[in-house]
Amino acid sequence: MLKQDLILRNPLRLLGFETEDILPAGGLGAVLAHAGVGKTALLVQLALNGMLRNRNVLHVSLNDPVNKVTLWYRELFEHLADRYETGRVNRLWESVLPHRFIMTFRVEAFSVPKLEERLHDLTEPGIFSPEIMIIDGLHCDATMQNDLAALKNLAGKKGMRVWLTVHTHRHESPGEDGLPASFSPVAGLFDLVLELRPERADVHIKLLRGAATAAGSNLLLDPSTMLIKDHS
Amino acid sequence: MANKLENVRNIGISAHIDSGKTTLTERILFYTKRIHAIHDVKGKDGVGATMDSMELEKERGITIASAATFCSWLDHEINIIDTPGHVDFTIEVERSLRVLDGAVLVLCSVGGVQSQSITVDHQMKRYRVPCIAFINKCDRSGADPSRVIGQLRTKLGHNAVAMQIPISLEADFQGVIDLLAMKALYFEGENGERVRIAEIPGELIAEARAKREEMIDAASMFSDELTEAILEEKTISDALIIEAVRRGTLARKLTPVFLGSAYKNKGVQPLLDAVTRYLPCPADIENTALDLEHVETPVPLLPDPAKPIVALAFKLEDGPYGQLTYVRVYQGALAKGSAIVNTRNGKKTKIGRLVRMHADQMEDIEVVSAGYIGALFGIECSSGDTFVSPGANLTMTSMFVPEPVISLAIAPKDNKSQINMSKALNRFTKEDPTFRTHVDEETSETIIEGMGELHLDIYVERMKREYSAEVETGKPRVAYRETITQRGEFNYTHKKQTGGAGQYGRVAGYLEPITDEPADFIFDNQVRGGSIPTQYIAACEKSFRLCMAKGPKMEFPVTGIRVVINDGASHQVDSSDMAFQAAARGAFREGYAKAKPVIHEPIMKVVVETPTEFQGAVMGLLNQRRGMIVGAQDEGTLSVVEAQVPLAEMFGFSTVLRSSTQGKAQFTMEFALYRQVPQSIAEKIAEEIASRKKSAA
Repeated sequence: MLKQDLILRNPLRLLGFETEDILPAGGLGAVLAHAGVGKTALLVQLALNGMLRNRNVLHVSLNDPVNKVTLWYRELFEHLADRYETGRVNRLWESVLPHRFIMTFRVEAFSVPKLEERLHDLTEPGIFSPEIMIIDGLHCDATMQNDLAALKNLAGKKGMRVWLTVHTHRHESPGEDGLPASFSPVAGLFDLVLELRPERADVHIKLLRGAATAAGSNLLLDPSTMLIKDHS
Repeated sequence: MANKLENVRNIGISAHIDSGKTTLTERILFYTKRIHAIHDVKGKDGVGATMDSMELEKERGITIASAATFCSWLDHEINIIDTPGHVDFTIEVERSLRVLDGAVLVLCSVGGVQSQSITVDHQMKRYRVPCIAFINKCDRSGADPSRVIGQLRTKLGHNAVAMQIPISLEADFQGVIDLLAMKALYFEGENGERVRIAEIPGELIAEARAKREEMIDAASMFSDELTEAILEEKTISDALIIEAVRRGTLARKLTPVFLGSAYKNKGVQPLLDAVTRYLPCPADIENTALDLEHVETPVPLLPDPAKPIVALAFKLEDGPYGQLTYVRVYQGALAKGSAIVNTRNGKKTKIGRLVRMHADQMEDIEVVSAGYIGALFGIECSSGDTFVSPGANLTMTSMFVPEPVISLAIAPKDNKSQINMSKALNRFTKEDPTFRTHVDEETSETIIEGMGELHLDIYVERMKREYSAEVETGKPRVAYRETITQRGEFNYTHKKQTGGAGQYGRVAGYLEPITDEPADFIFDNQVRGGSIPTQYIAACEKSFRLCMAKGPKMEFPVTGIRVVINDGASHQVDSSDMAFQAAARGAFREGYAKAKPVIHEPIMKVVVETPTEFQGAVMGLLNQRRGMIVGAQDEGTLSVVEAQVPLAEMFGFSTVLRSSTQGKAQFTMEFALYRQVPQSIAEKIAEEIASRKKSAA
């Protein structure tokens, strides 16, 4: 079955976690990288994997309009399923779409209480109850400590797994733990931190924080398709 | 028509509903002295804007048909097509864009880039129409042109560059600063007809300088001379900047942005200057026709009056003096008395009367040369037809016409209405390719089909007003379709021996869904060894094709089926075309039943713009209608909710939306795709059809 194939094909499983869910319910995860390395692509793949397993994904974007986010999903899904016959892929796409909801905010207008209010609009009348939330474009530094703590609290309350993208800067050298100095003050709130590190033509996925086996370091992001591939 | 071709502009004004297109056009006509008084859309004087010539348009405050008109500005002749903003009338927008060389994209400085602007922009891209943008309503509270420029970049991907900045905004909006001349422009007089040029107010000088730098920087990408002048710190002439911006605009790589408030008579004259400066003349655009004698090879057309005529009929109108056909001439010259041939049917006609239109008034002219738009009288044709000189066999590429998604049964109230109704339907179907009509064989009802509820509503109203045809309408019906979901084998023998000549034919093979290409029907003959004689294959194909018109499941049209025949049998005496047609019919039914048929319904992309406080309520409404909400976009005080909703659930949505949002939300809707109907709904549809049949019997 195509759906099962795609779930199995997801190399995220190789990150070495015992369960399919890399993050625990109520946990916060971060993907760190410089601009343009593939943070959104990685999170969209995590989201697609969730959708294929019938998990509801709420994608919150602070940078892109709904149309552009939709394109990310469609594009990565097509790459993921490129070897399969179009008709089946389209049918599967139609069937997983109801598991996704996109919300966009302007960066300056975003706040956790506002997000909670919107979430309430969705969950209360039973329109959509997210199990995974992706937040793309939120600044994660010391100034956001309170917001991130509130977000963690919200994730716990709703039992959601929340992933954030963290934009790092080239001029910032990492500390001993590999975390950039601006992120370190809030890092304690995160259960898992991955970093995308470009090395020559490849993009490596490194695990900076969280319990996992060494297999994690073997993952790469294919720069041509932005899909995760197994290094070995 | 004394102007040189380089001084001609054929432009369209496109935008979202209520962005003020018609008001803007009205002002343009006033300043170019085509009209001598301003009448606003839904204005207090009850006259209505000049471009909204149809009575109904005046009443509803929307523009339905694109009226063509022309005006002069600074030695330039500008032909304007006013286009409708509602999605239901998109075919009009598409047709207009096909014949235009450039466009003004009107945006609301409060609403910004709205859903319909995105649709219109897609259409402009499809026809590669260069455009300039006009941010209107700068006097409204909440006006923010710089946000709109940002949206032009992020939402539409335009390289938008401000050519002006506002002098105050909202209620204080006074005028604009021209970043090219570095002067302030104020609009004075009762109707803003006097443009006062003054020095830039001190507090805005720094901003103006910075924005001018940005503008020159963007323009320099299109001119080496300009880049050189910047690098060598030479004085930069206006002409150099104009040329660079023009080049960028023509290549669709730059969108110059202008500001104003048409309603408050501000900023329109500089926009007209911009139309003449930056939008292309007919000679700047490369048009091609298809040569029917050489397998439709594209042939470039030259705007030369001496060459053979190639003209496109892009709009028909039924006026008090007969049919009026709007044409765009691409090559040659249409002159009174000359002969033309309609490429579609080969019919030769002589041009009796040529006119130039100004909304609903006309002016007789002798000739329409290449590059111009005019109208012909008394020519029988359909919209989209190509006219050529006798001997030429060229056609303009056909325009993309979407399939109708909704239908409505109509019945005349009396005998007189019946005659008028058929006249009206005949006219409307010629005018608008997305509007279709037929008679249902079973119920004998006249069915009209179109692109949305409003689309059909307008035609029913027009029948009443223009043709005095009073009609009763049934409930709108959705254009459902049937298809199969798996392979279904068939092996059917048709045998009849009841005295006289017998009938015999056997057809075997399978039906399967088409998944790899967008086709409705594919017939694949894999019969080897003559088990079905070659002369009967065509009869089989014809019969299979006929079966597609009415599906065995619920009698909806069937789509997306590949029929493969690979075996069969015949009889020397008893086989005939008729016997194989009957066998193929039986085979189709047999295979179809095994192929798990399903019903598909049209799904609409619905975009609702609502104040944020009603976002929850709007999502609730969409959800109740089996809608799948794709996303919600926070735009400050406004929120945009995008959803995919079955058309069948959208009837009466506007009323419900108004009452749930205190009338503050608006929505647009357009066809998105066909999707399978859930089982419970399919059962309801089956019940409905059964009861309809029962009542018809």
